[in-house]
Amino acid sequence: MSVVFSGIFRFVLFVFLQVFVFNQVELGLGICLFICPLYVLLLPFEINRFLLMILAFGMGLIIDLFSNTYGLHASSLLLLSYLRKDIFNIFAPRDGYDPLKTPSYFDMGHLWFFSAFGTLLLIHTSWFFLLEAFTFTNIMYTLQKIILSCFFIYLISLLMQILVIRRGRK
Amino acid sequence: MQQLISFFRRFRVTLIFICLQILAISTYVKYLNFPESQYLTSASYLGGKGFALRYSIMKHFELENSNKNLQDENIQLRKQMLKNLYQINRNTFRIADTLFEQQYDFIPCLITNSNSNKLNNYFTLNGGKLQGIERGMGVFSNKGVVGVVHNTSEHYAVVKSVLTQNINIDVLILPIGLYGFLKWNSKDPRRGSITGITNDINIKKGSKVVTRGGSGVFPKGLLIGYVEQLLPVEGKPLWEVVIRFSEDYRRLDRAYVIKNLFIKEQSDLEKTIPNDVKPLKL
Repeated sequence: MSVVFSGIFRFVLFVFLQVFVFNQVELGLGICLFICPLYVLLLPFEINRFLLMILAFGMGLIIDLFSNTYGLHASSLLLLSYLRKDIFNIFAPRDGYDPLKTPSYFDMGHLWFFSAFGTLLLIHTSWFFLLEAFTFTNIMYTLQKIILSCFFIYLISLLMQILVIRRGRK
Repeated sequence: MQQLISFFRRFRVTLIFICLQILAISTYVKYLNFPESQYLTSASYLGGKGFALRYSIMKHFELENSNKNLQDENIQLRKQMLKNLYQINRNTFRIADTLFEQQYDFIPCLITNSNSNKLNNYFTLNGGKLQGIERGMGVFSNKGVVGVVHNTSEHYAVVKSVLTQNINIDVLILPIGLYGFLKWNSKDPRRGSITGITNDINIKKGSKVVTRGGSGVFPKGLLIGYVEQLLPVEGKPLWEVVIRFSEDYRRLDRAYVIKNLFIKEQSDLEKTIPNDVKPLKL
């Protein structure tokens, strides 16, 4: 039961942070701060793919509801959750994933986190911004948005884990 | 059939992914084509509530900025208000009559700056040369005499008020008709004194003090104050008559400038008096 409750709590927490904190931060240069990919990443290794996709899609829809993005978040989070397992398989350790561990910075180490989360993040932001632009005419600006956003989201995700998640686990 | 089911079983995740993705992207494309679609926007009920809540919290952090904006806007609006515009024509008019020729013209003004705590206090009026105000004209309010115009510019005039040491307005003490000169002792903005009254005359307390109208600056009979006290002047056979001003000069707001239409005639005539006959000022 407590797993369900903590799952619900984390879901609400991430939606809240995304909508009321990170959507309000304007860094300029077209940077958008998405922390919902971190939520998808941090779900357990053994989670059902359906459940993962439903959760991600639901979260995307709720965030869309609050940020006037009309299905963009839902679409990109859905893609992220769909590809998560394949990406994890690419970067899997030699003897597979330990089901007792969580896919976080602390359990899996920095190299794994960088490669797995970085890839997922790149896919997510590329999908999001390309779908948002819906054209290739301003491709340089879109690329700038993708790369800068990736960089900042990565930093914030690291900080989030260090400051929030780990403290919560103690 | 068996194959179809096994195909679905194998690709069920992908199929659901594709279905949901089509749903999401079609929502987005529909919005791109028809921006008026309202579901999945912050205009919908849940999003609207959430943002109302966020606004109710966040508005306090914007207070300084919004106050500044409001102030700027207030200034813009204030500039357009009638009372901040400068009125050039003050509705002065003259009556043409064969029996009575008008001698005094009154120009209404606002006192824009005044003080009463200095040794010599000067007031500023929002009327100037454009309204025909000139140096030497008298100024009064509806309760009493204010002073004499000291200097003028295009739009403004500076008044040497009653609260200056050597204002020297010639005054009349009613009902006995004594006259003297008004002085101020630089201390009490509510009281002045009259000099030049010999001490053989008994003056009742509470007697009215009005302008004499001798120099043509003020018309005769404008109220100044009431006699409050008689003080003997040391070594001279004179009273120093302390009067209480009828006007409170600390709260002055509106005033009229007196334009004497005959002043030139009077001063020209008085210039013909030989020098040794001119009255001595006490």
